[in-house]
Amino acid sequence: MENQEETQEEVPIKIVRTTSAFDCGGRCPLRVHVEDGKITRIETDDYEVKEEQLRACLRCRALRQYVYHPKRLKYPLKRDGPKGSGKFKRISWDEALSEVAEKLKEVKEKHGNSSIFLATGGGYQAAFHDGMLAMMRLFTQFGGYSTHYGNVSSEGAVYATQTMYKSPFVGNSREDLLNSKLIIMWGWDPARMISGTDTIFNLIKAKEKGIKIVCIDPRYTDSAAVLAHQWIPIIPGTDVAMMAAMAYVIIKENLHDQEFLDKYTVGFDKFKSYVMGDEDDSPKTPEWAESITSVPAKIITDLALEYGKTKPAALMDCQGPARSAVGELYNRAAITLTAMTGNIGVHGGSAAGGLMGIPYGHMFFRAGIPPPKRNPVEEGLKSVRGSLDLRLRLQARCHINKMFDAILKGKDGGYPFDVKFAYFVNNNFLNQLGNANKSAEALKKLDYMVIADLWLTPTARYADIILPVASIAEKSDLTRPWPSGPYFTIANKAIEPLGECKSDIRIAEELADKLGIDDFEKYPDEDKALKFMLKMTEDTRKEVKNFRKFKDDGIHRIKFDEPYVAFKKQIEDPENNPIGTPSGKIEIFSQRIADLNNPENPAIPKYMERWEGRYDPLSKKYPLQLMSPHPKSRIHSEMFLVEWLREVDPHIAWINPIDAESRGIKDGDEILVFNDRGKLTIKAWLTERIIPGAISIFEGAWYEPDENGIDRGGCVNTLTKDAYSPGGASALKSCLVEMKLFDGGA
Amino acid sequence: MEVPKLQVGFYFDQTRCIGCSACAVACKDWHDIPAGPEKWMTILYNEKGKIPDLFVSYLIRPCYHCEDPVCIPVCPVEAITKREEDGIVLVDSEKCIGKDECKSKCLKACPYDAPQFGPEKGAKMKKCSYCLDRHLEGKLPICVESCRTHALDVGNLEELKGKYGDIKEADNFVYSERTKPAIIFKPKKKI
Repeated sequence: MENQEETQEEVPIKIVRTTSAFDCGGRCPLRVHVEDGKITRIETDDYEVKEEQLRACLRCRALRQYVYHPKRLKYPLKRDGPKGSGKFKRISWDEALSEVAEKLKEVKEKHGNSSIFLATGGGYQAAFHDGMLAMMRLFTQFGGYSTHYGNVSSEGAVYATQTMYKSPFVGNSREDLLNSKLIIMWGWDPARMISGTDTIFNLIKAKEKGIKIVCIDPRYTDSAAVLAHQWIPIIPGTDVAMMAAMAYVIIKENLHDQEFLDKYTVGFDKFKSYVMGDEDDSPKTPEWAESITSVPAKIITDLALEYGKTKPAALMDCQGPARSAVGELYNRAAITLTAMTGNIGVHGGSAAGGLMGIPYGHMFFRAGIPPPKRNPVEEGLKSVRGSLDLRLRLQARCHINKMFDAILKGKDGGYPFDVKFAYFVNNNFLNQLGNANKSAEALKKLDYMVIADLWLTPTARYADIILPVASIAEKSDLTRPWPSGPYFTIANKAIEPLGECKSDIRIAEELADKLGIDDFEKYPDEDKALKFMLKMTEDTRKEVKNFRKFKDDGIHRIKFDEPYVAFKKQIEDPENNPIGTPSGKIEIFSQRIADLNNPENPAIPKYMERWEGRYDPLSKKYPLQLMSPHPKSRIHSEMFLVEWLREVDPHIAWINPIDAESRGIKDGDEILVFNDRGKLTIKAWLTERIIPGAISIFEGAWYEPDENGIDRGGCVNTLTKDAYSPGGASALKSCLVEMKLFDGGA
Repeated sequence: MEVPKLQVGFYFDQTRCIGCSACAVACKDWHDIPAGPEKWMTILYNEKGKIPDLFVSYLIRPCYHCEDPVCIPVCPVEAITKREEDGIVLVDSEKCIGKDECKSKCLKACPYDAPQFGPEKGAKMKKCSYCLDRHLEGKLPICVESCRTHALDVGNLEELKGKYGDIKEADNFVYSERTKPAIIFKPKKKI
């Protein structure tokens, strides 16, 4: 064997330093081996300081199988069967784009620009080749389009941080966790969903330093298994009750930092009066919370005392529990606790708020070149700037989690438009928004649909035209960490686009030609564009001086003198750095919310049940709360087909043995999980790692309805609801279901 | 068999492993192994206790390149060898007569299921080579470099013992006195 190798002609290996553009939670340097124009292997960061290497997770270790997967789309496709049948035939780009252009012109003429709908998602997190910005620009120049408001992931946390801080930058550098004396991880599993490439390793270092870590979660997550000195299982959706009871204990024991509250916050007195029961004769005692959360009162009391006395302490909430009908209240209550204990703006503390981003190298900063102009369809509407009134956001748009309801019902359903043409880019929304069966129904009814994607996703199955998109390995682009840094990354093109795949910006250019939009400014070539974009945003302009070096290294690391801490300036020098809210302070009570006069949206954070929680009367019929956490082996539904990932992370439902036994379900059984919205099948995994009364199915498995309408792919959104909280959180985790042994269908 | 001049081995910090399987996927990529039963690196899972007092552990399962590899003497065609210079246990897959012909004698002998076979009939044995290609270039095995929590280390076993101590036990692991697997641990215990 060795002899054979020696006689073979040496093919030089080119190492391309690049990264991914996935919506994944990290952003990791990759060294892609390219031989003879093909990727042969993947390595990760080789930074000389090993402890600070930003090592890629299993997803990007499988990037090669993703790029070359036999099911990657390589040619434009035209529907060749009923919608949803998955039957397509290959056509040329010219045919595809001519047809799309004709359809666009026809819809514009017959129904007006508001009937053109653009559905954009987070599937491509890089600056230049971003199809969302490209299509926004194209459709704007075509006379305008309708679209959606909000995102699926973080809207609860965004609403909470906008309410209380008026800033999404609530995170600290991850190494600052090592300055903490107590870390409370509340509904947060960075071992799986990453939350910044360096996060889990810093948490491990914190544990090894002797810092106590408490995990509060309905599941004993992989993070809890490695980090937690104490795991506190809690009934999903009841977090705010426990937080209120912790506040009760802290106030009762006079452990709250009144000086901090007086100086930096408004409305604590109102929150206090709620917590102590002055306003409703119901003090939010640990015993009260025990009856709701199932967490023993003593555990709540002890944790509250510990949190109140230990300085500094980091209460780390996340976005998961906020994807519910009570979403923003969870983040608002967490922020309130961090304010009560004076842990904001100090090393080792946490401002909470769930978004965890720092304003250096943050993914929020990206702008297309040329940037899209104002959408004519939304011209003349009342400004939404600074407002917490969702109704303003919905003047011309639908909520993201109501997208398919809007497509289905249009103006008759109270939406601002009737969709006749939809263009999907960077998303697999049928799979990833609530109520997949309804979404499928909407797409069947939709007149005309185009999708640009790498895969024939469950959403793409309903398209009239599918346009194949090049992967990140096939283009150069600017990328940013998601959302912790501080560093910038660059994707360097490793290989030529597969088949006839194109970048979304080139698709937009060619479509502009077909539409006869003569003044559609063409995109510059990659290097020129990336250089320009680095100069365009302030942080990169300041940091990245040498483009060639950045390109060669694939990463630019930023060194701070000390870890970044959110709101440090605002706390150290509030006179000159007020919080951005109308009061200039952290708003525990929000006048902007009070003015909305919506009892469902309280002006202070309160425990509320809303719907499809443990105590909803519907739980008599559907007694299990469905959790849909992030999977570890794919990015939402992206990479689902990659076999290397599937085999290390089989798609299974976490079920407590108590719930399984009462239904005669054994480990490994195929079960039917169902409610009024749909049915899916999945393998049962019996584990003590989930609280009884809940079932957990990782999101992102592909929807695959059989002839009886049973989703055999186990897509969790077959069961979830297409609804949102008063703050705009996609309420996918407020979902009740029942399960039973699967009898084979029919 | 001669005693190797040097014995390489693994150090596994079980308290750090999050069970993510990045090492297993990186291994498949580096050695170009298709998805399927042939796995040079596996992560074993163990769960004990009742809610809320739980214990969960993960364990790496490559080939432990035993000091006394029992796979070697059972192989009818002497396809398995132990390198004198570093103790790496290698299989010559060309020599191997396939899993059906000898009824997978090596796999039956190995207490750790290190010998691996593809799904095809008559599949030849393959297994973790300690990334010999990388080792010869002075690089670490791909699993070590891929570990996001730095739970893995490799090197001269004696040096590893000096650095990390000589702990042969870990949760979900039984040390075989017969084969002497070349791995030491920081075992996971209940905290």
